[in-house]
Amino acid sequence: MQKLKNITLPKALMVLFLFVMLLFTLMPIVFMLTASMMSTRQIVRMPFNWIPEGFQWENFAKAIMGNDGTYIFLRNISNSLIVSTTVAVTTVMLAALTGYGLAKFKFKGRNTVFMMIMATMMIPFEAIMIPLYMVVMVLRIQNSYIGLILPFLVSAFGIFQMKQYLTTFPSEFLDAARVDGMGEFGIFTRIVFPNCKPVIATLAILSFRGQWDNLLWPLLVSQSDKMKTIPQYISNFALERSTDEGAMMAAALLASIPMFLLFMSLTKYFIGGSAVYESRKG
Amino acid sequence: MGSKKSFSIEKKQARWGFAFVVPSLVFFSVFNFYPILNAFYMSFFNRKALSKAPPKFLGFDNYLRLFNLETAGNELSFLNSLKSTLVFTLGTFIPLLIISLILAVFISFLSSNKSKKFLQVAYYCPAILSSVVAATIWMLIFDPRGLGNQWMNALMGTPGTDHRWLVDPVMEQVSTMVIYFWKYIGYFVILFITGLASIPPTIYEASTIDGANKWQTFWRITLPLLKPTVVLVSVMAMLQCLKTFSTQYMLYSNGAPRAPINVITFNIYITGIQQQYLSRASAMSIVLFILMLSLTLVQFRTTKSENVEY
Repeated sequence: MQKLKNITLPKALMVLFLFVMLLFTLMPIVFMLTASMMSTRQIVRMPFNWIPEGFQWENFAKAIMGNDGTYIFLRNISNSLIVSTTVAVTTVMLAALTGYGLAKFKFKGRNTVFMMIMATMMIPFEAIMIPLYMVVMVLRIQNSYIGLILPFLVSAFGIFQMKQYLTTFPSEFLDAARVDGMGEFGIFTRIVFPNCKPVIATLAILSFRGQWDNLLWPLLVSQSDKMKTIPQYISNFALERSTDEGAMMAAALLASIPMFLLFMSLTKYFIGGSAVYESRKG
Repeated sequence: MGSKKSFSIEKKQARWGFAFVVPSLVFFSVFNFYPILNAFYMSFFNRKALSKAPPKFLGFDNYLRLFNLETAGNELSFLNSLKSTLVFTLGTFIPLLIISLILAVFISFLSSNKSKKFLQVAYYCPAILSSVVAATIWMLIFDPRGLGNQWMNALMGTPGTDHRWLVDPVMEQVSTMVIYFWKYIGYFVILFITGLASIPPTIYEASTIDGANKWQTFWRITLPLLKPTVVLVSVMAMLQCLKTFSTQYMLYSNGAPRAPINVITFNIYITGIQQQYLSRASAMSIVLFILMLSLTLVQFRTTKSENVEY
């Protein structure tokens, strides 16, 4: 009873608002989950019934078999996995290497190099996609992994993060390793790189997600069905199966599973990762 | 002698440092600086893909064409693109900013750490879905028979009305804003929570001792101290909105009218890739670049002058 008395009107309104927004964010996701198990007839019934009647396995079968039964879904989701993983790996490696070079070595023009790299953060991908598309045409790397990956090998933001993190890394360790006769590259791979795990995790997630979500660049590069990525698959599937809403949601759900798994195992880095942007100020 | 040796070590060090940054430097030159310069250069010609004729120099014609006021009546013109981009950006980032700030403050008022954590993760959930998946889900919700109409009718007491979410020009713009807002709200809530957490608790204690209530504390202390975060978040949200593409692409390719959601990025895609007018699309790219660049510079300026020391 004592507790109830403490609940004032503003507090109740506050909780109500939090709850309404919670419904707003979660309802569409729950809708995707339940609708993926429903028949079209049940999805379009008014009013909508949230509990599926039975489980429509066909939805998932259709989503995987694709519009023409070629199982191109499997190929497309592997393409996305390959591209996203490669980009995550190269971004982390190159960002660590460059960040280390900028943080721990003194050389002529270091600040210029740093400013140049930071300046690229102001060039949005959307503004350079047409020239990049022409580069791809000249190099004849349309419909290839190279073409999909090449513009995203490293990110300026990643270099910035690595540099910030490594500036605080104690130089004594590096000097000690040098005295012991370790080569510079060995110092990087065996001492520096293993010690930036938090930044590595955040960066890897950000770049993996960036490519998993990327629709624009694959639209330009991949015209053949075999080289399309999962956003393109979903987009085509939604177009050609626009009346089969259960199958559409099943495809959307399947396409989201890798990110869900990543999110559940690494929630801390996802949430921390967006907070990292905060340190950009100043 | 000793100084000579350390000099050579320094030189060696400098070489290694340079070697470590060279790969990225080459990458950025080829895939960032060259393309933006090339886009700028191309925007002065009449280059078309697959055309054999050598491109002709046009000067500023492409730009004049984009900003030709006589084309304002044409609903697919660049001027209307600018308008839809502006409408989308303002209509998305203002609610994003205000609601995420309110949510973050409310979450910080909660006493239990568990519910704080839960709400952050729950609001963040839509951000892990890809934009294409988000658009697909919402396209079903905005179906004439979908949940969108059912909810709206229940809220406004208008049973059986179709709000024409993906058909009516204004409603279509609202739909893209809702999708975008939904996807990014959790992300900005977390940015604000981080900003709130960086305000030292001693300041709140001091204001409580001075007899301020929560409301006064918020307006007089939290908000002013949060100003750098507010500036940062608004610029980031605006930049994010200017780059929107997937949502508009999905709605359009599923039959929604193009004109109301013909944002700049989408226009670049249609003009440059589908219609193959590379130079015209490059001119649009440069306009987009200048828009985003000026926003970023505004951000740098304000964050520099507004830095608060505790």
